[in-house]
Amino acid sequence: MSEALEGDRTFADKYPEEARIVRAALLSSFLALVIGAILGIIQTLHRTDVARIIPSTDYYTVLTAHGVFLAISFTTFFLVGLFTWAVVRSLDRPLLNTKITWTWYGLMAVGMTMTGVSILAGFVDAVDMSADVLFTFYAPLQAHPMFYAGLAVFIVGSWIAGADYFRTWLAWKREHPDERIPLQTFMVLTTMAMWYIASSAVAASVLIFLLPWSLGLIDQVNPTLTRTLFWFFGHPVVYFWLMPAYLLWYTVLPKIAGGRLFSDPLARVVFVLFLLLSTPVGIHHQYLDPGIAEGFKFISMTNTLFLLLPSLLTAFTVVASVEYGARQRGGGGLLGWLTDLPWRDPAFTGMMLAGLMFAAGGFSGMVNAGMNINYMIHNTIWVPGHFHLTVGTAVALTFMAATYWIWPQISNKPIYSRTIGLVQVVVWFVGMALMSNAMHAQGIMGVPRRTAEPEYTGFDYPTMFGGFEELNIQIAIGGTLLFVSTVLFIGNLLLTMGNPKVSGLADPLPPALSGPDDSPKVLDNLRLWVGIALTLVVLAYALPLAAIVQRGGLLGPGVGTYPVWLAPLFDALADAAAPLVGAVADASASLAEVVR
Amino acid sequence: MHIHAYEKIWLATSVLLILFLLGSVTYGAVGPGVAMVSDTEPTIDAGALDEDERFSEPRVEQVGENEYAAYVVARQFGFQPDPIVLPANSTVTFYITSADVIHGFEVAGTNANTMVVPGEVSEITVRVEEPQEYGLICNEYCGAGHHVMEGKVNVVSQAAFEERTSGGDGE
Amino acid sequence: MAQNETAHAPADDVGGDTEEFDPIGTLTLIGIYFVILVLSWVYIYYIEFLGRDLVVVG
Repeated sequence: MSEALEGDRTFADKYPEEARIVRAALLSSFLALVIGAILGIIQTLHRTDVARIIPSTDYYTVLTAHGVFLAISFTTFFLVGLFTWAVVRSLDRPLLNTKITWTWYGLMAVGMTMTGVSILAGFVDAVDMSADVLFTFYAPLQAHPMFYAGLAVFIVGSWIAGADYFRTWLAWKREHPDERIPLQTFMVLTTMAMWYIASSAVAASVLIFLLPWSLGLIDQVNPTLTRTLFWFFGHPVVYFWLMPAYLLWYTVLPKIAGGRLFSDPLARVVFVLFLLLSTPVGIHHQYLDPGIAEGFKFISMTNTLFLLLPSLLTAFTVVASVEYGARQRGGGGLLGWLTDLPWRDPAFTGMMLAGLMFAAGGFSGMVNAGMNINYMIHNTIWVPGHFHLTVGTAVALTFMAATYWIWPQISNKPIYSRTIGLVQVVVWFVGMALMSNAMHAQGIMGVPRRTAEPEYTGFDYPTMFGGFEELNIQIAIGGTLLFVSTVLFIGNLLLTMGNPKVSGLADPLPPALSGPDDSPKVLDNLRLWVGIALTLVVLAYALPLAAIVQRGGLLGPGVGTYPVWLAPLFDALADAAAPLVGAVADASASLAEVVR
Repeated sequence: MHIHAYEKIWLATSVLLILFLLGSVTYGAVGPGVAMVSDTEPTIDAGALDEDERFSEPRVEQVGENEYAAYVVARQFGFQPDPIVLPANSTVTFYITSADVIHGFEVAGTNANTMVVPGEVSEITVRVEEPQEYGLICNEYCGAGHHVMEGKVNVVSQAAFEERTSGGDGE
Repeated sequence: MAQNETAHAPADDVGGDTEEFDPIGTLTLIGIYFVILVLSWVYIYYIEFLGRDLVVVG
């Protein structure tokens, strides 16, 4: 096939069945985005006391659903869609068996539906089901069993997706024995390898402890152990969200800017570093936990800070690739080239603004990683301020911006309105700038995260960077703009789907300036990197986990069970909890004695 | 493998930045002496706090010259004792545990902040200066009434503190 | 295999300046970012954090 002919065909032309899968995954992702955005606006207006349309006790149902739908469902469905596209496109070969592909897609959809239903049932008093345990589901707060079961099914689905990519790559490798792994496939494989390592811990936590416990098969769990297993997964998962955005920044953004990737070898190095360092860092979420030695916390901090390296390298490589594009377009000067970029293209502007926000998020991330400075910001609204810059913008805005570029490739339908797209990405940026900035500022004042009513009766917050109420207004305006931006995005996409199919939308990606032949062969040795990654995980976690089990036992040192889904008595509890809870605790303590 | 000279400069700068951050945190630990909450305290049966010498009666007591211990229980949805009254210009060690689920213990706007995990005791020592009233909040979601879980930490003058203690009730 | 990164780029597409491309603008931008990072960190760690009440010392 000649280059010219190839170049004229879109992904949808070449791989119609795979394109259908990619579209299905992306649409599932956007469904989660819509639900998450509706919950988001309810939350923003409630927390800031602008409009409280739900009782404050239901706020936590909203918050759980917002977290799970956006952080798990929106991100992962987009990821599997994008990765399917990236593997097939960069290997230039179809998937081995699309029945398997539809199977994992179906499992993920069923799992997420189970979990979603168990959460949303919390709104309906008549249904004896709820899962108001938030995205982190810390025991001994207990959700309905279907919440945990759904998560397990979802994760198993994602594992089969990973196997699908690996098998397709192995088939390609047999056909091309002497070729380097194409960059996009390399990125997919390293990310999925990281995902297997990371998600094994949360799967173990759910299947061994939390699900049996919620079914009444075991009486109690060790809260520190399940919490540690969660964060074993909970930090690498943020890179799992981020890696598809990196893939787009490395391989699609330079093309849109009119250039090409600056360095293929460095891109590989960056992904290898993420595979190695993403997991042995989770304890940095537990700097303020009792029952974990300071030494383990320090080791975790060191690993975490070195994890800055691949992101800082990415900043350079991606900006350099864009600069190359600008200079190809005739840009000059030290910084004058910045004006020679396609700022009217929503895909370009969206990804650039997402990257800019990520740079800001880099700073608050450094603070989060700094061990003792956590006393100042731990569990304050600073933390959600940080991750709304990272997952909420670097990832989410990149996904939306990339959709403007990729949707025509996978559907042969041109975007309905690029102008609306441009407005949409800018509105997101402005909204997030307002909201996130105010959240960071409130965090420094000590305003907690995860609360329906951050205003307290007994005291006032100190005033800095503007008062508490003033910052609340900024948060409310920012959150509203984010909601408007989501509506614009979804509306634009729906209208795009109504467009007739056309030809001539193909936009193939160029190879890197410094190609794969420049990079040492060892970079493609996935076995080696997975081996080292596992070793680092064992080094970072074997001793802390052993110490936790030694201290509290596998099932904890006498801890009760607090189902959020059995008794709708919480409204009254707020006033008169103590004696009641004491009795429950006594009962469960004697149970614990019996177990021993 | 070809790496552009500028990228090498940036790589070196990045490593320096990381070392600077590590150095700052280490300085905070050895200079001002900031210590992390750790595994210094043994585990405890969260269901049997009533029988525990320290937590059956949450209180503040003197343990040395200008040194005090505050035994605090967090439970859905409040702290005991409330308020926590401390004498000014003293060193106070908080021992905080939970009677039920995971909570947070945050003296708003200060560095006194820790997780409170059932079965574990969080130990943090702080230096208390001038008389002042602080808000105390639970900063980890702990159930549907989480947002009402608040308390107070009142730092009072030594004289006022002694008057209070000799007045009969330890809380 | 136009869509495959392993393919070699057509020469005319790359241009003659491949080897000489010096991303000086990028170096400038990222240098500015570095200065902002260091200054912000110094403020938040040494002034905001270490200057607070109730420093945890044990």
